[in-house]
Amino acid sequence: MSTTALIARHEWRRLAVQPFAWALAAIVVALVAWQFLLSLQGFLELAPKLGGIKDAPGVTDLVAIPLLRSVSNLLGLVVPLITMRAFAAERRAQTLSLLLASGVGNLRIVLGKYFGALGFVLALIVLIALMPLSLGLGTPLDLGRLGACIIGLALFAAALTAIGIVCSAWASQPALAAAAALAISSLLAVVDAGARLQGISNAGINYLALPTHLEPFFRGLVASVDIVYFVLIVVVALALATRHLDVLRGRPD
Amino acid sequence: MTSLAASILALQRVSRRLDGRAVVRELNLELRRGEVLGLLGVNGAGKTTTLRMVAGVLAPNSGRVLLGGEDLYERPELARRRIGYLPETPPLHAELTAEEYLRFCARLRGLARRAVAPAVARVIERCELGDVRRRPMTALSKGFRQRVGLAQAILHEPELIVLDEPASGLDPVQAIKLREIVRSLGHEHAVVLSTHVLPDVVACCDRVAILHRGELRHAGDLHADERALRLRVARRLHPVDWLALPAVAGAEAIDGVHWRVRLQPGAQISDLAAAVVERGFGLEELRLDGNSLEATFLAIAATASAEAA
Repeated sequence: MSTTALIARHEWRRLAVQPFAWALAAIVVALVAWQFLLSLQGFLELAPKLGGIKDAPGVTDLVAIPLLRSVSNLLGLVVPLITMRAFAAERRAQTLSLLLASGVGNLRIVLGKYFGALGFVLALIVLIALMPLSLGLGTPLDLGRLGACIIGLALFAAALTAIGIVCSAWASQPALAAAAALAISSLLAVVDAGARLQGISNAGINYLALPTHLEPFFRGLVASVDIVYFVLIVVVALALATRHLDVLRGRPD
Repeated sequence: MTSLAASILALQRVSRRLDGRAVVRELNLELRRGEVLGLLGVNGAGKTTTLRMVAGVLAPNSGRVLLGGEDLYERPELARRRIGYLPETPPLHAELTAEEYLRFCARLRGLARRAVAPAVARVIERCELGDVRRRPMTALSKGFRQRVGLAQAILHEPELIVLDEPASGLDPVQAIKLREIVRSLGHEHAVVLSTHVLPDVVACCDRVAILHRGELRHAGDLHADERALRLRVARRLHPVDWLALPAVAGAEAIDGVHWRVRLQPGAQISDLAAAVVERGFGLEELRLDGNSLEATFLAIAATASAEAA
């Protein structure tokens, strides 16, 4: 097993023995489940009226995709709470020296922490995705669009997790790390709001915004330009986190 | 170069600044296998920063830290198997049990999967953690947490063991046990430890280095033949009675029953003890005398205070 995988598994284990992570996961799943049931009830009431309409929206459009879209908003709040402890809590407890003294490179340490946290977030997404997918037992679903949505959510979560990790590396307090991650992801969510109000949707500022690249997945479009955007965020954030560990070690440039 | 190659650790003109202040200046040190080096100094002397550089956690601004002749900061992966480090605050992941944590540390230090269980079992026995191995570390006392920290530093059998204030916060019984462990580690490994406690240095170390304001002010051996001993005897004695013993180079009365005795070069403490018993001096106590080291330490601190004034 590589050291990255070892650290990732250890991070997962540490999250798994903390009541905080389980409580957070339980609250998120309960909230989404409640919303899912309300949407489903609304759809069942509406379904008879949709019968006579040509190309009427189905359960995928009216229940599954709105549910997953709302999950993306929830992830913006939840992911910083999962990642905040990655480095900040270790620095506060003075335990980071265990990893720094282990001879494992800084990049491997950052990747290990990242994949440990991402694994937890992805498990949460899988758990949530099972709710709309369970509708497939009783009705046909547009699995292509649902698949695109889940891929989009996973990429979005990967970017948020990377932002959370770099904030945790920068901050000396977990709460500060969570606040900084929330602030950065919120900024990326609304950075093009002004341009959109003026009807501009294809400028450079729009490219920077997270929703510009997440929304196509909810429409069933998996475009390489959007994938590259999320990958870029992950790479930049993890490079900055690694660089910060270099600074903590005081390594000369 | 021959000397450097023989050394497990060599610091060559190592300096480090923190927050714009020179914390360690032009430090030169060497350590060979089987030696225990005690790093002494008042608070702020630069001991912890020095140990962090030796452990591979903090890069020096200038100078080199050589591990077996290779630059530790050009090849940081050397630290993985060859250095064990116990910082002042043990780096424990307290939400885990001691055994889980040690298993992770073993893998982190590159032990093969099949070597993990025997290594963990060995350090659990050596550090006497058997009763608490499956307890979450949040529930452990300070002494046990310190022992778990020591266990993670030695479980991969490193050549160099770096201990920062290992006896800090321990009760006297725990401190004595820790001394015994450190002393035994010194037989097989090279150990560098920092402490404020002079008796710990006298009891554990072969050599001592005294730092003050980041500078090396004194470095010397603490070999048995140079150690002074303090004895309490029941009989009233004269210096000539002591000098009649072949192991004794000099004797000085502290009071009617306490004596400070210097050994002849090459003489063993056990030789002296046997002779004292044989002559019927009424031996009641025999221990190493840390006063000479204490005097050096205090003189350096006093000189530095005078310089500052």
